[in-house]
This record gives sequence, C-alpha cells and structure tokens, in this order.
Amino acid sequence: MDPTASTPSTTATVRRPTSTRFTRGLGVAVIVGAAWVALFGLVLSPNDALQKTGVRILYIHVPSAWLAYLAFIVTGISSAGYLWKRTRSLVWDRVAGASAEVGVLFMGITLVTGSLWGSITWGTYWTWDSRLTTTAFLFVTYIGYLAVRGLGGTLHQRARRSAILALFAVLEVPLVHFSVKWWRPLHQNESVAEGELEDMMLFTLFSGIVTFTLLYVWLVIHRQRTLALDDSVAEHGLDAALAERRQEALQ
Amino acid sequence: MDLSPREAVPTAVGKPRKRPWLAVGVLVAVLAGAGVLVFKFLTNAVDYYCNVDEIGVKDGCDVGRSIRIQGVVDQGSVTGEGLNFVISYNGQSMPVVVGSKPTGIFSECVPVVVSGKVVENADGRVFEGREVIVKHDNQYDAENADRLAQGEAEAAACLRKD
Amino acid sequence: MIAMLNAPHVIGSYVVTFGAIALYTWRMLARARQSARNVPPEELPWT
Repeated sequence: MDPTASTPSTTATVRRPTSTRFTRGLGVAVIVGAAWVALFGLVLSPNDALQKTGVRILYIHVPSAWLAYLAFIVTGISSAGYLWKRTRSLVWDRVAGASAEVGVLFMGITLVTGSLWGSITWGTYWTWDSRLTTTAFLFVTYIGYLAVRGLGGTLHQRARRSAILALFAVLEVPLVHFSVKWWRPLHQNESVAEGELEDMMLFTLFSGIVTFTLLYVWLVIHRQRTLALDDSVAEHGLDAALAERRQEALQ
Repeated sequence: MDLSPREAVPTAVGKPRKRPWLAVGVLVAVLAGAGVLVFKFLTNAVDYYCNVDEIGVKDGCDVGRSIRIQGVVDQGSVTGEGLNFVISYNGQSMPVVVGSKPTGIFSECVPVVVSGKVVENADGRVFEGREVIVKHDNQYDAENADRLAQGEAEAAACLRKD
Repeated sequence: MIAMLNAPHVIGSYVVTFGAIALYTWRMLARARQSARNVPPEELPWT
C-alpha cells in the first residue's frame, strides 16, 4: 500500500476534510440566516390578506426555485469552461457536477414546498400547469444529468459527456422561467420583480434569498471538494494496486 | 520512511471504471418519467382555457366540450357550502355546479379556474365542474394593515362585474 | 406564535426544506471524511 495514503496531515483535516476557515465562517452565517428566515417567515411576518398563512411557504419556496435556476446556470457555465480547450480542467467538471446535484436538491424542495402551497391556496397539490410541468421536467432532466455522470468511463470521458448534456439542459431554464408569460397558466408571475409585495414580506423573502445563496455557495464548495476526493480515491485505488503488483513481481 | 516523490500515474485519469448499473437504471427511469410528463402536459393542455365571456364565442370554447373556464366568484352567489356558485368575467356570468366542495382559499370575489363543460338545460347554460382551482393573483398584502381597504376594493370590483 | 391556519403544511414545508438540506449535508460530509482517509494530504490542496 502507498504509505502516505493512510497518514493524513492532522486530525482536523480528517474530521473536516473539506472545510477551511472561509467555509466555516460561511457555515456559521448560513445557520444564523436559516434561524433568521424561520423566525421572520413563521413568526414575525404578517399573514397575507388572501392567502393567510400560505404566504409563509413562499419565503422558502421562492429562494429554492431561484437557487435551482442559479445552480443549473452555473453547471452550464462550468461545462462550457471544461469544453473550451484553453480552460479545460477537471475542476470545471467537478463544479458542474456539484452545482447540478445541489440544484436537484433545491428543485426537489421547490416542488415539495410548491405543492404544499398549492394545496393551501389553489386547493390542489398538483396540476398540469405549464409552470409546474416545465419545473418537473427540469428536475427530471438534471437527475438524468447526474445519472449520466455516474455512467462510468474515465474522468475526462465523464466530464466531456456530461458537459455536452449540460449545455443542452441549461436551455430549459429560460423555458421554465418564461412559461408563465408564454402560456396561460395557474401559476402567477414573479411578484418580486413587479413590486407587489408588502414591505415586511419583501424583507423576509429577501433574507431567504440571501441565506439560500450563501448556503448554495457553501454546499457547492464542499461538494466540489468531496468530488475531488472521490476522484483521487479512484486514482489512488489504481496506484495502490499497481504498487502491489510491482511488489509481487520483485519477490 | 519513503520520502521520494510519488510517481505521477497518467494512466489513472485514463482508467475506465466499471459501469454502474444503478446509473443506467436511473437514466431509464428518467427517460420514462420525462415521457410521462410530456404526455400528461399535452393531454391536459387539450382542455381549452376560456374566460366566461368567451363561451360560445371563441373557437374551442363550445358548449358541451371539455374546457377550463376562468372567472371571479360573484359576491353572495356561493350556496350549498360551495357546491353552487356563479362566476363572472368581463361582464358575463355563468352558474357553476361542482360535485365536491372547493378547497384552497376559495371564497367570494376570488378568481377561479374550473375544469368541466358547459351544458344547456331549461334554465340556460350551466357549467358542470369537475375540479375548482383558485387562481391566485399577484397581490400580497399584510392581513391586518389595510384589510378594510382591500376588502372594500375587492367587493367594489366584484360588484362592478355584476 | 398564534394558532396557525394550515400549520401542518406551513411548518411541514420548513421542516422538509431544512431537513432535506441537513440530511444532504450530513451525508456529504460523512462521505468526505471516509474518502479523506484514503488519500494523501497533498490531495487536499485547500487545507
């Protein structure tokens, strides 16, 4: 076995191998932010005149949706970064993969919180409305993207294959976004952009968006590093096997 | 202790890994799921979307055809615990009969979308609804701050439509 | 908090959101810890 493989530098890096001073600070900010959003969203903000308590779900539903879009766009950009010869690096590929995975998580949260909200407001958990259907389609697409990443092959094969797919998949993001304008749907337009939210509600929603964005950055940094570790385990697994074989040959 | 630099192993990056069947399974499920989504969307979108004033006027909004109708619930029109009500749009009204009590934030003066069909009977046209969905608008107002103003405005808008 | 209308849906949505994120984070960090045991320290350039 590779002697260095089992001698990590310090215990801290073993306990928190993907953590740095920056991410720890960011992590604390995210925890404070999450408590803040829960406090304002559930307790301090007012009920909506028509939706009553339903509006409280929007403080997490809207930021999740925004983050899922952001995550998929970052995946698209990173994929282009990998495919472009002058910037080709597996780091792009890992950022793309990490961001897509976090995006799928947030898109799932968006769908679940959205259907809970729909049940309160519309009177149904699900309807085949254009916004809902395109969102579900986006969710499924990126699960497919993650599956394609797991299909095997070399790291560069994985990177190339998934990058090409990501460049097509990201085209769905504007489709979902504008579905509200293109079809006559049940789902309303973006209220934030049109300035129709009451001040306290706007403030709570804004806190949610900031917190979730910081959370996204934290998650992608950690996930990207975890992927780097996984990739090097795959490499070192082979390293160790080669070393063993060489050892056998010498005996 | 071995202090010599580790050898670079270029083959490592080029090493093909074994094909995990889980990923293939997920991919098949994803393709099937995407197909179902597209199918459901297309078949559900077949129900034409009509405003009350478009019934019998606009192409596709014919009597007897399965459609979705949009309108605002008239004030004072809700009877039978929500099984009967009247919706209006652009000055035109349509009585609605549904089989089950509408849920969500259903009440007077809210915009709704009802799926079903228009039938003609002795009393004129009635919409037989299968499902009522409340169409939420973009207004978000604190409940207590200007509830009166909000309520009055809605009532006024509602009455104007009658 | 006043008695809340639709409390199961509203609180449930917060629980699902934060729960899912926490579960994902916990699994990711556990995975990282496991992988880190099998790689040399120079494979962690960010530390």
